[in-house]
Order: sequence, then structure tokens, then C-alpha cells
Amino acid sequence: MTQEDKKRPINRLQSMYALRAYVDKIYTAGLKAKKEGRPVAWCMAEGWAGPILEAMDVETVYPENYGTICAASGASTPFLERADAEGFPTHLCGYARNGLGYAALMRDLGGEIPPEAPAGGMPKPTLLLASGMACDARFKWFQAMGRYLDAPLWTLESPSPGAREALMDGAYERDVNFLVEELSNFVAFLERLLGKKMDWDRLDETREGTKEMNAVWYKVNQLRKARPGPMHSRDFWSSMSASMYLGATDPEVITGLYRNMYDEVKNRVDNKIAGINSEEKYRLTFIGLPPWHSLGFFDQLAERGWNFVTEAAYHPLKPFDIDLSKVSNPIERYVRSRYRGLAQSIYDLYKPEEAAEIIEEVKRDGSAHRVYYRGVKEFQIDGAFLHPLLTCRAATFALPLVQTLLMEVWKVPSLVIEGDIVDTTLFNPAEALKKAEAFEETMDHYKKVRKEEGLGW
Amino acid sequence: MVVKASQGLTRVREIYQDRPLRVRELRAEGKKVMGYLCIYPVLEMITALDLVPYRIFGDMRETITKADAYMPTVVCPFLRSCLDLGLKGKYDFLDGVVMAHICDVGAGLAGIWNMTVKTPYSHFIDTPHTIHETAQEQQKGLLKDFQKSLESFTGKELSPGRLKEAIEAHNQQRALVREFYDLKKLDPPLISGTETIQVMVALMSLPVEEGSELLREVINEVKERRDGPPQKAARLLVWGSIIHDTAIMEMIESLDANVVMDDTCVGSRAYFPDVKLTNDPLEGLAYHYLVELQCPRTFKESTHGGTKKDYMTDLETRFSYLGDYAKDWKVNGAILQSVRYCDGHGYEVPGVEDYLASIGLSSIYLEHDYTEGGLAPLRTRVQAFLEMIS
Repeated sequence: MTQEDKKRPINRLQSMYALRAYVDKIYTAGLKAKKEGRPVAWCMAEGWAGPILEAMDVETVYPENYGTICAASGASTPFLERADAEGFPTHLCGYARNGLGYAALMRDLGGEIPPEAPAGGMPKPTLLLASGMACDARFKWFQAMGRYLDAPLWTLESPSPGAREALMDGAYERDVNFLVEELSNFVAFLERLLGKKMDWDRLDETREGTKEMNAVWYKVNQLRKARPGPMHSRDFWSSMSASMYLGATDPEVITGLYRNMYDEVKNRVDNKIAGINSEEKYRLTFIGLPPWHSLGFFDQLAERGWNFVTEAAYHPLKPFDIDLSKVSNPIERYVRSRYRGLAQSIYDLYKPEEAAEIIEEVKRDGSAHRVYYRGVKEFQIDGAFLHPLLTCRAATFALPLVQTLLMEVWKVPSLVIEGDIVDTTLFNPAEALKKAEAFEETMDHYKKVRKEEGLGW
Repeated sequence: MVVKASQGLTRVREIYQDRPLRVRELRAEGKKVMGYLCIYPVLEMITALDLVPYRIFGDMRETITKADAYMPTVVCPFLRSCLDLGLKGKYDFLDGVVMAHICDVGAGLAGIWNMTVKTPYSHFIDTPHTIHETAQEQQKGLLKDFQKSLESFTGKELSPGRLKEAIEAHNQQRALVREFYDLKKLDPPLISGTETIQVMVALMSLPVEEGSELLREVINEVKERRDGPPQKAARLLVWGSIIHDTAIMEMIESLDANVVMDDTCVGSRAYFPDVKLTNDPLEGLAYHYLVELQCPRTFKESTHGGTKKDYMTDLETRFSYLGDYAKDWKVNGAILQSVRYCDGHGYEVPGVEDYLASIGLSSIYLEHDYTEGGLAPLRTRVQAFLEMIS
């Protein structure tokens, strides 16, 4: 630990810096591709297209990630204001508003990058790739960008069945077939657009590479169960983007960087070094999407002994083994290596007898409360920081229910602090800090309650 | 036996004021009532198994209290209100609920309702967002699962024959609704936008045959009426998110405007195209309930997989039906409205405005918070808009 790190409230991992810097490559690579006349796709992060686009030599740029960069660098205001002026309601996704405003300014400039764009900006795309996964913004935003960009748009579907419905006979196989068809159609579209054939061998290589990368990243995060928590959420957020956005481009390099991180975190675990430079008084989980524009707020909490040891979003799935030797279709190999049905996921996480009980419970009741945020027990969480976002329905709508279930199932209290992913005017750090200070008494109280109830921590 | 005391528009108003009126009677007679949210659950499958479909609405005149424990204030207030009413026992007469992937919060509500309101039966249809062939196949598979689920719930088989009969019955109602809407092509329209809402809500509170019978009475009554809406300068199309309470229409029609047409889901969206009768009835239903319903939750484009893009062509593909409505109903202005926090409609607004401008139709966008009080400040804006278009 350097002298400088000792002064900082959060004990940043050295290995994080290389991963964070890696993400800047998205933008330099995008600009270079444009200059060289190679295709550039603006994509939503949706888990499927990256390796396919990589195998077709398409450079990918992520306006969603760009929204976080604009927010973190304080550059989002002109883009947000322009989106408002274009008539898009202010409650829409902050990333989307940022992206729409950017696209509108780009159109004004005849396709050139707006001069105020941070990180060099996003070049005009050859292709827009939307997604039906996770939230409506992922395809409505990109559809709306047709007002400013004449790039063809493809929307990749992704099933999101209800819990009970996912367990119906044949449901998983039907969803696999759906994904295989969707991705096959997407490949056919790319071949028409780009006038070249898919490199299936390269897709298989990338698939294997990203599998290994996610497995290492998963292991890094499992180490965070240790006490004191060795890695703060700020390091997680700075490190996750590499695998999300560049995992398909350089899986070996990123795997190597995650291995470095694993070694560093393991060393901290072995030597009981915390992710904060204060005594760990409270272990927190962050639920929602972070306030990218105000991450320094967490430094103030760290000074009070708040160690954010895990998060509810962006984590890689638990790795699983699957025999694909008899699957001849490369797209199907790809889908089966990534799409884990609900039943399989439950068996991955629980012993067979308990998994069978949970599955019966879901079939009967439509849900199983005991699975709810089991991470809270594994990571021995004292409090949940819930961050309702005024512009993100998908990340916010369930938070009151989460708050209720965390208390009912695990006797873990929640602190609710409203804000936004991009818009700084919607987050009040001073007020948030006051609430946090008061919340400490609540966490102390429920530590006692959990002990009395034999919950173990 | 229940004696029907009233008919036509009087009966409509009775049902509008007390929606569960008839279904409670039917339930007492042994019928089962299946609640449904939005227009994506397949009503024909419910009807075919002798269940009574009953649309779930919120109540913009009731303060949301219980739902605060489960849904934050920054989501669709209509959906919050639906949950609130469920938690307050206002839907205790439902034997089951069917919901679909209508939007982020709507999909989430399905799980929350299951955990908290605990209606005895529930099913969620993960309706795809796109409409091309692969999505249609997926939709058909999802409907097969819905069929299995309903058969298990009722203990009855959903035969193709029963399903075809149900499709015909619902198509008959669709045709009647279109005939009803034709009455608004006249100047002045024979029926107001406010009354239209009452009629549509009544239809969504009755079994299909009873609803159709009531609608025939209404159509005959309205054709003969001498007390219809007065002629007004503005003939408006109202587009946007759900309107099931007359308050918005009353606010608009209290000014120099008649609402002669709508593109909303308690209106034309639910009724305008028929379900095609196909050899396998699920094919026609899958197609209708994915491709033909007009709602921003579905991604539509001029050419699937096209390598060229043109914005105006895209708008024409997505919104030309609005141009047809405007022409056929002689509309001279459009009000685009949405509940606050409706993302689907929110992203759509500039595109719809652009399309309407391209066909020479002025429009205004209003956002409201799904309360009666919240409409008052909008009245001034509507008035100014009407002055502009006149």
C-alpha cells in the first residue's frame, strides 16, 4: 500500500487500475476503426452479441457505458439538455437521454463527434444493436435514435420468463431454440450488411475465452465474502466493464488482468487487509445502479467504516460445465454455454435435496423467498443500500419489495437513497450522508436481532 | 336469475360506476373470473374455457397507500394503483390473473402481485418485443404453455373447436366496436369520447357475449339519439397510455373539442384488427396478440433485417394507421398523452409528433400523474392548443 493509498478512505486495488484503463480502449478502438473504414456498432450490453460482432470484425461501442463516462466526468449536462429539448420526457433512462442528446448533436454536426464529448467520443455507427433483454430502454432508445442516425438497427430478443413458467416442461428448450434462431438471424443480417461470412471457429474460440474470463472474475468476487471485505464496490464497478464490454475482444488479456486481481484480493484475504482504510464496522451490499457522477460519496461512507463488500447487479453467473461435444451447430453451442435455465441455476447454487424443494416451492407459489438475495447471508451483510433511480424503472421497481424481503427473510435493514445514474441534479450527497449516519443505529440494532434469531452474523 | 334492470347507455354507466357488479353475480352462479392486465393476455383462451375475462384497472381517484410497501413512486402510477387495489382486496373476486410482458414494470408487477396479492391462479406470458417470424413462433410456444396452465386450472380441455368459437365471439365484438366507432365519424359525433370510455370499460367488465349484446343496444340507441355531443371546432385523436377513467376525456371535452378517435388500449388498440381464423387457432392468436396490437412496447420496423434505414419510412410503417384514423375520422388535432414514468410511450413521443407533422396534423404532448387533480393544470395547455389549431 502506498502512502497515498493510506490517506484515501477506500483502499483501492492496484490491479483495478489496469482494468479501468482498459475500458478507455473501447473509445480509442472505435475511433480508430472509423478512421480505417471498419464497421462500428453501437450496442447495448446484452450478453450475446459481443463475441459474434468480434468474430465479424465489427468494433463495438457502448452508449450505455458512455453514459457512465459522461456522468463520471461531469460531461453529461449538454447531452441531457439536448435530449430534453428534443422532446424526450425527463424521466427516461439517464443513459438513453445522454445518448439521444449526443446523437442529436452529432446529426447537427453532420455526423462528426461533438467537441464536448469525453474520452474522444463515439464515432458515427455503421450499425445499431438493440436488445430486448433487461429493460425497455434497450430497444426503445435505439429505435428513437433513428431520428438522428441512419444506421440500420437490429433488435436481439432475449427471453425473460416468469419463475413458475420457466419451470414448465419444455420451456427451457423452447427458449434455447428461440435464442439460437435469433442469433442465427442476426448473423445472417451481419453477413448481408458487411458482405462477409461469419468466422465460426473464431466464435468458438471467443466463447471459450470468455467462459474462462468469467470464471476467474466470478472467483474474484467470491473472495469478497471474507472478513474484512477485501474489495470495495468502487473497485468492482471500475473492474467490471472490461469483461462486459471488451470480454469478446481480448478475453485472454482481460482474464490475465482478473487473475492479477484474484492474486491481489487473495493476498488481502490471507492477511486480513480490508477494502477500506478504516476499521470495517458495517458490511453493505449495494442494490441498484450506482451514481456514476458521485462515486466519491462512498469515500465519505468508508471513513465511517462502511465497507461495500458486494452488489446485486453486474455479477457474472456461477460457472457451469456443459458437454457440447454432440452439438454441431456453433450458435447452439454458444447459446447452451451461456443460457442457464432456472432449474439448472437452482441446482448450481444449492445441494440437490434443497434445490428440489425450492423448485417445488416455485412451482407451487411462483417464488421461493429463501433464495432471495442469498448473497446477503454468504457475504454477512449488515445493511443494504438501495438506490432507486428516478430514470430507471427496471432497476428500481422491485426495491421496496427487496427491502421488505431482506427484512423478513434475513433481518437486514435497508437504507433508501434516491438518485440517478447520470443526472447529478437528482442526487443530494449531503442529505444522503445524513441519512446514512442515522442508519448506523438501525444496522447496530439488527446485528443484535440477527444474533438473537440465530441467523449467524 | 338476475333480472336486467336497464339497457344501453344506462346499463353502461351502471357498470362503469360499479365494475364488479356483473362478475360478482356470475361468480355467485359458479363462474370463475380471470383478471387480466393490459391487452396482451389472450382473452379467447380464457373465454373458451368458460372463464370470465375481467380487465384489471387502477383507480385514479383512490390514494395509493398499501402499494408503497412494494413499488416505488417513480414507476407507472397506473400499475401502482392496480397493485394497491389488489392489496386492499378490491380484486378479491378474481379466481386468477393473467399478465404479460407489457413493459418493465408490468412484467415486474406479475411477480409482485403473485407474492403479495396471492390470487389463487396466475400465469405470466413473456410476450416477445419483436414481431418477426422467430418471435411469432416463440409467442405460439408461450401460448401453448398458457393453454396447459389454463387446462390444469380448470380441469378442462381447450379444444381447437372451443377456441375457434371463442375467437368468433370476440371477433364479433371487435366488429361491433368498429361499428360503434364509426358513429364518431359523423360531425358532430353521435357519441362522445367520455361515453366511449364508459362503453369500453363496461365491455371489459363483462363476458364477451353479454358485452356484445350490450354494445348492440348501445349502437341502436345512439343511432336514434337526439342528445349527442354538440358540434365543436376541434375533432381530436387522443393517443397514448391507458385511459380508463373519463376524467381526461371530460377535461378535454369540456373545451371546444370532441374526442372522435383514440389510439389507446381501452379503445381502438384492443379491438381494431380481427383475429384471423387459422387451421391451428393458436397461430392466428399468436399473430394477433403480438403483431397486430399497436403499442409502443412492441418493436416494429419498416423492414426486418434491412441494411438501409430511412427515418420517415420507418415512421410511416409504425404510424400510418394514425394517418388513416385522422383521415377517416376527420381529425384536425391530436393529443398525445401519457402517465408519468411510462417509458414505452415516452420514447415514442418525438417520433409520433414527427409523423403527425408530416401529414399536417398538429399535436400536443401532455404528461399526467394519474390523479384527477393532476389534470387541472393541463386544461390550460389543451385550451391553448385548441386555439392554435382552430
